[in-house]
Amino acid sequence: MENFINETIDTTQLPKYEEVEFSVLHPDYWKVILVSLTIFFLIVGMGGGILLLFNEELTPFIFEFSIVYLVLLVIVIFFSRLSFKKKGFAFRNHDVLFRHGIIATNTLVIPYNRVQHVSLHEGLISRIFGLAKIEIFTAGGSSSDIMIPGIKKEQAENIKQLLMGKIQKQL
Amino acid sequence: MSTDFNQPQRQSIVGILVLFFYSLQEYAKALWPILIIWIVKFNEINRGYLFGGILAVFTIIGIISYLKYLNFTFYIDQDNDEFIITEGVFNKTKTTIQLFKIQQVNINQSFIQRLIGVYELVVDTAGSNKTEGSIKAISHGLALDLKARLLDNENKKAIDVADVIDSHEFIDEKSIDSEIPFIKISFFSLLKFGITSNYVKSFLVLLAFFISLFDHIKQITGKDVLHDQNIEDYVDNSQIATAFLILFILFFLTVIIVNLVRTIFTFFDYKIARQKGSLLLSYGLLNTKSTIIKPEKVQITSVTQNFFQKKMDILHLKIKQATGGEREDHKQHIEIPGCNKLEKNEILKLLFKKIPEKGVMLKPNFRKLGFSVFLTIGLPLLGFYFIRDLIIEQLPMTDYFVSLYVVFVGIIQFFIFKNNRLFINNDFIILQSGAWDVTNKIILPNKIQAITTSQLFWHKNINIGSLTLHTAGGNISFHLGNFTAIKQYVNLWLFEMETSDSNWM
Repeated sequence: MENFINETIDTTQLPKYEEVEFSVLHPDYWKVILVSLTIFFLIVGMGGGILLLFNEELTPFIFEFSIVYLVLLVIVIFFSRLSFKKKGFAFRNHDVLFRHGIIATNTLVIPYNRVQHVSLHEGLISRIFGLAKIEIFTAGGSSSDIMIPGIKKEQAENIKQLLMGKIQKQL
Repeated sequence: MSTDFNQPQRQSIVGILVLFFYSLQEYAKALWPILIIWIVKFNEINRGYLFGGILAVFTIIGIISYLKYLNFTFYIDQDNDEFIITEGVFNKTKTTIQLFKIQQVNINQSFIQRLIGVYELVVDTAGSNKTEGSIKAISHGLALDLKARLLDNENKKAIDVADVIDSHEFIDEKSIDSEIPFIKISFFSLLKFGITSNYVKSFLVLLAFFISLFDHIKQITGKDVLHDQNIEDYVDNSQIATAFLILFILFFLTVIIVNLVRTIFTFFDYKIARQKGSLLLSYGLLNTKSTIIKPEKVQITSVTQNFFQKKMDILHLKIKQATGGEREDHKQHIEIPGCNKLEKNEILKLLFKKIPEKGVMLKPNFRKLGFSVFLTIGLPLLGFYFIRDLIIEQLPMTDYFVSLYVVFVGIIQFFIFKNNRLFINNDFIILQSGAWDVTNKIILPNKIQAITTSQLFWHKNINIGSLTLHTAGGNISFHLGNFTAIKQYVNLWLFEMETSDSNWM
């Protein structure tokens, strides 16, 4: 019992998670978002266009529909850009942090000794740009999992190796 | 008595009956629309065909049950230390459970099984791929024997691996005499609990029941009971108010009675025993259930009490355990109804080694009240403003109802706000919430899996924000508290989690 010390922790001296510098996502990931949005809006636009052409009752409103379509497009792109800008991640010695959210800024922290497993996911469009998504799972259900998109494939592999090493060490 | 489990074994011969009833139940569930038609048109159908049909169905189910019985075998493979169950008539299934993976073995008895005098044995395993084996019909002695064998094998394994938590406990209420229940929930406590809780739940259940009942009557008789002209003829216009009141009281009484009956049926003869640091629970009037709570697996403990219950000194405990495994949403809830303060402390002491104390208190900002009032009163009122003219012609009393709603919801929101508190001390985090039923959710900081903090951008200047603690038994959220304090505690918890290798399950 001699070696046992139990000093009061000075909470102000603890490392502060809120002052961590976050790394941003790879700039190419913005292109990935743009490509997927383009595909989505093309499909919606084509569907809407066909509907407008063949439905005579709706044909007079073609101008109004185009305006709505364009406004929606601008809003979605604006918010996607905002969301892209706000996403960030950081790996500390003992935990991983992920920041996201448009209106609210959410910061999710997972200590390495609570990570259950790590996986690497490559989407079709992401793969063209050589990007991958890292998924970090805990036992706390889907709301406590971290998904970091837009990381260069090699870097993602490295991060995965790093996490695996950390998890192994913890066990 | 020792039976050789190394050879494939069948279930008890009377088990065919159990299988028969279970199959019958299954088919009845699947075919109930046809059954209803038969019952309704009972007189129109040729009796001969009807009874012939029923006989045929019973025979087929009987044969299927017999085949199921024949094809269901279980045995322990000594060489590989595995418990193997094979089942299936056409599609054969072979379930192999490694003995060291067995977490617990439960012996249950449902109503049908009680009638026939057999037991059900369920094998619970840990691990991501949750393989569970269950034997539907087995005699009591054999079940105990098998359980001992299944867990005995694990003992050997456990000795090799140091530091393994004793996770093989026997749980049966009758067999092991050494466990003397240290808490018994009396019938009187259950009565008290039954009449003071779950109003909303029973109300909704009852409402759903009546709606479906009316629907069925309408379908069958072609009459709409609710809008029947006759009902309006029965009561005089002047007596409508009294009729409403009586109806309301009747409905309320039914809610209470339903509640009472439900509580007594599920929780009758509630016994809690202690064994090697675990809690053994057994309860139920028709279906006897027995479960085990291991303190290290407990994630969230809720203590709920409302005003009446406080006066009567009863409260409601709810314990959420982690089931283990990687991404399992399935959570185990265990309820302990109607225990008093002393018993609660006794249980909490067993779970946490000491009685949780409330530490530093965090209050939500008044904006939380404002926001919930806006959501539950402001928005509905706005909607009402637009459609008021339409409704008011049909129901002149609408305005009264609306003001009643505003007052009622306003009071509820005020109490929700007033009761919403987060208490933090070194060993416990306690979240208090609820308007009428005040719930205290207790978690240990080392059970946290991940932490989310969240702040709206317009709350930056006034320095308020939200906190969510993720555990394997669910999340705990506290909204719009002092963000500096929250951040400080998050840093502290992270520090504690990362510097210790405490076992969270």
